[in-house]
Amino acid sequence: MTRQKYLFCYMMLAPALIITGALGIYPMIYSLWMSFVEFDLLRIAQFGTPFVGLDNYVAVFGDPRFIQTVVNTILFTVLAVAATVGFGLLLSQVLNATYPGRAVVRMMVCVPWFVPPAVASAIWMWLLHTDRSPVNFLLQDMGLITSNLRFLTDSSTWGPFSLPMLSITAVRVWNGLPFAVIFILAALQSIPRSLYEAAEVDGATLFQKFWYVTLPSLRPILAILLTLLVIGGLGSFEINYIMTGGGPQNLTNIMAVYSYQQAFSFYRFDLASAASGVILIMTGFVSVFYLRSQFKRTL
Amino acid sequence: MTWKVNRRLLGPSMAILAAAASMSSAQGQDITFWTQPQGDLLAYQDLYDQLTSEFREQTGISVNYEVINWSVAFNTWLTVAQGGAAPDCADMYWLHSFSGIGGEQYGPLPITEYRDQWPNLEEDFYTGALADVHYQDEFYGIPWRVDIRPMMYRTDFLAEAGIDAPPANWDEIVEQGLALTVREDNGNVSRWGFAPGNNNPGQTLLPYYWQAGGSMMSADGTTATIDNEAMRTALKFLQDLVHVHKISSPEMFEKSADPLTDFVSGQVAINGSSGNAWPVQFDRDYPELDGTWALALNPEGPENRDSFSGAGYWGVLRGASDVDACIEWLKFLSSEETMQRISETTGAASPRRAVMSSGFWTDRPWKEVMAETLNHGHTSQHPSSVWTALASPEPGAVIYDLVYNTVIGGADIDAAVTEAQARMQAELDRATASN
Repeated sequence: MTRQKYLFCYMMLAPALIITGALGIYPMIYSLWMSFVEFDLLRIAQFGTPFVGLDNYVAVFGDPRFIQTVVNTILFTVLAVAATVGFGLLLSQVLNATYPGRAVVRMMVCVPWFVPPAVASAIWMWLLHTDRSPVNFLLQDMGLITSNLRFLTDSSTWGPFSLPMLSITAVRVWNGLPFAVIFILAALQSIPRSLYEAAEVDGATLFQKFWYVTLPSLRPILAILLTLLVIGGLGSFEINYIMTGGGPQNLTNIMAVYSYQQAFSFYRFDLASAASGVILIMTGFVSVFYLRSQFKRTL
Repeated sequence: MTWKVNRRLLGPSMAILAAAASMSSAQGQDITFWTQPQGDLLAYQDLYDQLTSEFREQTGISVNYEVINWSVAFNTWLTVAQGGAAPDCADMYWLHSFSGIGGEQYGPLPITEYRDQWPNLEEDFYTGALADVHYQDEFYGIPWRVDIRPMMYRTDFLAEAGIDAPPANWDEIVEQGLALTVREDNGNVSRWGFAPGNNNPGQTLLPYYWQAGGSMMSADGTTATIDNEAMRTALKFLQDLVHVHKISSPEMFEKSADPLTDFVSGQVAINGSSGNAWPVQFDRDYPELDGTWALALNPEGPENRDSFSGAGYWGVLRGASDVDACIEWLKFLSSEETMQRISETTGAASPRRAVMSSGFWTDRPWKEVMAETLNHGHTSQHPSSVWTALASPEPGAVIYDLVYNTVIGGADIDAAVTEAQARMQAELDRATASN
């Protein structure tokens, strides 16, 4: 009976496992293999795919553009995750409160989630276009700026920061915020009301209630959310590729875009796989760190 | 029991299928053909429905055609060149790269032995377009559409500035650009006098480099030839447009730059190398702008007035089930009458001289300019499989970095050209080295 039960469970899982294996695990392993061989489309017909060891990794780490994309990726991820979680915490509190029109506000906050990143990129490219940007018109009308801001093309930098990087990050946050808000809102609604009542009896202020009741209660959910957002940020592609293509002057280039360019523009699938391998190691590190902490918690 | 019944059914079924297949092959061959749409999609499909039907009536050969959306075309052909599912024949592009990737196993098939089926190729077709169907002394097909890029300008802005005729040479570009650029008190530019081309630095550079007398590589595709005076002249001219004369936008090579919208919205007065689909789009989508725009030959540089040109071609794929049937189809398509119909339906300029001198291509001034520009067409493709990587519109590509860093970044031209020459040579070696 137990054996039949297991068999049934495996049968039910099989379609999902097969799809994950065929479309997720196999390409990942194949890509890893490509990172250890010469996989140059322009030479493959003549020379095949000889094993080259770590040469591809040495090559990408020897490329200053790649190093810059690693820095950009980390910066972009940290900024986007921090802003998403920060605004997410704030907005979820607003959405959790009781007031007339709450349903409308909740729907409005979720709207960016319904916009695919590619479409969001196209919309924001227009909104942030130097000469046609309504944002520029608005800022000039308000007297905050005198000439157009070059949101996506200004190559001035302040340390590792640039206006295009901040603009791209803002679009990413706009697009990803509803996901965080819904995540946190669901967790907020599961916090027992009695904890807040007890805090009130103890004379806790609004901030103290947030710091000592809300935040500790949200910790498990925030850990999952942070992990997902960091993994998503490290592998982010569409917004950067569509809005700036990594420019100006590589300021918004991130690892996934670099990898795409190596493969589909320069036909170097080996270097692209090595760059993807680095992304895999970074996301794997984050995942292992998270799983380890979860494992410790359950012991 | 069940198995026996099935076997009893299977035998006659197979016999019927085999008979049907042999009848089908006795009646005529089937070939598959892929094409990318030009102009209106429905009109394009209607046209191919008619053409395949007429061809079947004439020859008994059935052509099963499939329209490949442009958004997936590159990945489709890249997959084909690596051994993915392929048609027998197709409308293709980037011959040199896809040939190089496919090697002798996949991708475009040389059809040199059939070349005499088109005895007047040189007389019938523009030279620039024919360069796109030849590679390493082999003949690969027939060019059927040509992307020629004349200059486009706003007649209303020129009239407003008291300019009678568009720029005829580089000096006049600067003169008129200065007169046409409108700068506001706060520093915003509401109209740029001149846009050299589109947001692809490689495509933008090419016509100016040719006009200065340069060429990108040796005829056999093994030696980079960009470290020369012509390259310095072209880059200096483009750099000055941005930094000295300030008549071209420093954002022109960014992803967010959109030369067509800039031109339509009046933010650019002259585009030095405009897409050949623009006039058709203007006629169709912007009737309100009728009478405010015109085409002209590309301004003359120090050596000539070459224009960017790129051709799509009909060819055969390696592994084709019936090469002879494909050749028959290509001959049918490339007849003057069929090419005329295709050009009229799609609005795409034709590489066939007779089509471009027909009534359809001479009934409007812009069409006449288009035909005249074809005489100055210089193929944008080069005889190396690595060419599309060299000229890719992405940062990191050799030509992108050269043009962007000098024209926009203001980098030292001498140093940038020397570095680009070395990088380009390394890339050419990558495609041609014996290991």
